[in-house]
Amino acid sequence: MTAIELHGVTKQFADVTAVDDLDLAVEEGEIYGFLGPNGAGKSTTINMVLDLVRPTTGTVTVLGRDATADSVDIRRRTGVLPEGFSVYDRLSGRKHVEFAIESKEADAEPEALLERVGLSPEDWDRKAGGYSKGMCQRLALAMALVGEPELLILDEPSSGLDPAGAKEMRDIVRAEADRGATVFFSSHVLGQVEAVCDRVGILRDGTLVAEDSIEGLRDAVGGEETLDIETAGVDETALESVRALEGVSQVTRVEGSDGRIRVNCADDAKTRVIGALEDAGVGVSDFHTEEASLEDLFLAYTEGDSASPGTDGDDEETAEAPTDGDEARSASDDEPEGDDDEPEMEPEGTERDEAGEADGTGERAEAEETEETDEGTEETDEGTEETDETDPTATTEEVER
Amino acid sequence: MSLPAVARKDFQDTVRSRAMALLIALFSGLLALMAYAVRPTGEGEGFATELLLSAFVGPILLTTLVPLVAVVIGYNAVSGERESGSLKLLLSLPHSRADVVFGKVIGRAAALSLAIAVGFLLPAVVLIAIPVSFNAGAFLGYTVFAMVLGWVFVSIAVGCSAAASTQRRALVGGIGIYFLFVLLWGTLTGQLLGAFESVIDPLPVSLIQVQTFLEVANPNTGVQVLANAFLADQLFAGDMRNQQISATAMLVFWALAPPLVGLLKFDRDDL
Repeated sequence: MTAIELHGVTKQFADVTAVDDLDLAVEEGEIYGFLGPNGAGKSTTINMVLDLVRPTTGTVTVLGRDATADSVDIRRRTGVLPEGFSVYDRLSGRKHVEFAIESKEADAEPEALLERVGLSPEDWDRKAGGYSKGMCQRLALAMALVGEPELLILDEPSSGLDPAGAKEMRDIVRAEADRGATVFFSSHVLGQVEAVCDRVGILRDGTLVAEDSIEGLRDAVGGEETLDIETAGVDETALESVRALEGVSQVTRVEGSDGRIRVNCADDAKTRVIGALEDAGVGVSDFHTEEASLEDLFLAYTEGDSASPGTDGDDEETAEAPTDGDEARSASDDEPEGDDDEPEMEPEGTERDEAGEADGTGERAEAEETEETDEGTEETDEGTEETDETDPTATTEEVER
Repeated sequence: MSLPAVARKDFQDTVRSRAMALLIALFSGLLALMAYAVRPTGEGEGFATELLLSAFVGPILLTTLVPLVAVVIGYNAVSGERESGSLKLLLSLPHSRADVVFGKVIGRAAALSLAIAVGFLLPAVVLIAIPVSFNAGAFLGYTVFAMVLGWVFVSIAVGCSAAASTQRRALVGGIGIYFLFVLLWGTLTGQLLGAFESVIDPLPVSLIQVQTFLEVANPNTGVQVLANAFLADQLFAGDMRNQQISATAMLVFWALAPPLVGLLKFDRDDL
C-alpha cells in the first residue's frame, strides 16, 4: 500500500499557485525526504496531507483514506510534527503529552516519551511557555510518537535543535522506521535528509523536479567539477575565450575580488581552461578544483534557472530560508556524514556570522548566506586548510541574476 | 470521541488564565463591597439577599462583568491558536474542527463557571458576616444563573473566534459582541422597531410583544428575567411565564447558534 499518494494536486491561493499538478507517492515503510526551498510548496503539500489546507484540484490519499473526508481517522494513525507550531504556554510538557495520549486513545507512558525525545525530567512539569524552541520541538515529537503511529509526518523536524539534538532526531526517525513506520519528512537541508532517507523528492515551484534515492541522485551529479582560479586580473575577452572551450558549462567572476573566477567544466577540460587563460595573457596565480557535491545538485534543482542538475556553484549549501539561525546550525551537524561529497572545503562565510540571524522569510540569497555561514563555520572547525576568504555567495548570486 | 479531550485540555489551559482570574477577583471584590455597602444599617429591616442580587448585583455587576470575562477568555479561543500555531499542534491530533470549536466552548465555559463559583464565595462570606438575612439557596441559585450567562457569552465569543481568520478580526468581533449586548442592545432594537413599525403593524403581534421579545433576546436581559423570577419564586410560573420561556429559548439559541455558524466558516477555511 502507498502511505501517501497525491494525484494531480494543485493548490491555488488567491494569487499564487503553491502546488502545481503534483504527483507524489510515498511507499509504506520507507523514509521519504521532502526537499525544497521556501515557497516551493512543501508546507502546503504537507498541510493538504493533514487536511489543514484543501487542494483546489486533485486527490490526496493517506493510508488508503481520503485526506479530507477521513482526516480524523488518518490522524489517529499518524504522528505529526508540524512546522511553525507553538505550544500551550500555560500547560506543562507532561500535560501536552497526556493530552496527545488522551486524544489518540493510546496506552502510553508520558514519562517514557518525554525521556525518549530527550527532555530532562526537571522540565516535564514546567510550563511549556518557558521552553526553548528546541525543547518545544522535542515536546511536539514526543506527542507525534504517541501510540506508535503507522505514519510519521515531520515538517522540518530539526529546526531549533542543536547538532546533538538533530542527531537524536535522526536516530528516532530510524528507530521508528525500523519499527515499521513510514516516515515522511521535509527539510531544506540536504544533509539531514541524505543521512536517513531511502528516497528523496525535490520540490520546486510546486512541482517535483527530482525524485530518487540518494545513490541515484549522486550518480546524476556526474563528473562536472568546479575550478576556482586566482588570477592577477582578468578581462571579459579572456572569460569569453574560456566560455568558448569545449566542456566548459559556466564561467563566473567572483564578486568582491579582483581576479578570482569560477569555472564549471568537465573533468578533462581543466588543463584547457588554464591554458586558455594563459594564452589570453592572464596570469594564473593559484587554482584548485572541487568536485560537484550533492549540495551542488540540490542547488541546481532548487536555485538554478533551469531544473536540470548541474554544477552552478562550488560547495554552497543550498537551501531555502531557514526559520532561524539554530535551524541552520543543526544542518552543519550533518556534515561529517556528508564529508565525502565535499572533498575540498573552504572556511566560507566565517566572517558573515550575522547572516545566521537572517529572517526565515528573507529572500533566497539571504537564506543562502545563512546556510553557507553555518556550513562555513563548521568547515572551519574541522580545520580545513583552505584560506579562501572570498564571498562564497558571489557565484550563485551571479548565476541567479 | 475526542471532544472531551479538547474540552478538558482547554479547561486546564483556561483556568490558568491570569486575565480571567483578575477579572473574577475584581467581580468578587466588587460584589463583596456592594454587599457590605448596601447592608442594612438598622432601619432597613426588609433588606435581604434577594434584593441585593436583583436590584444591585444583577444590573450593575453581573451583566457588565460576566460578559466581559466571557468575551476576554473566548474571543481568542480559536483565532489565537490559529495565529500562534498551537492550532497546528491541536489538529495534528485526531480532532475534527467541530471537536475543536465545541470542545473550546465547553472547556472555557466550564473554566468560567468554576471561576464564578469561586468568585461568589467571598461575597457569601461577607453576607454571612454582616447582619443580613442570608438566603443560601437564593445565593447559590443566582450563582448558577451567573454561570449560564457566562456560558452563553463564551459560546458567542468562541463562535466569533472560530469565524475570524485573524486575531485582529476576532478582537474586533469580541469588542463588538460586548458593545452590542451590554451597551447598545436597547438603542439598536429600539431603532429597529421604529424602522419596521409599519411591517409589524399588520402582523398578529403587538409592537409591545415584539419589543418584549427583543428585550429578552439579549442574553443579558434573558438571564436577569429568569434570575429575578427565580429570586421571586416565580420561575416558569405566574404572569411572566411566556416571557421566561422566550428568554430560555433565546439563551439556548445563543449558546448553540454562534459556535455552529463559526464552525461552518472555520470548517471551510485553509488554516
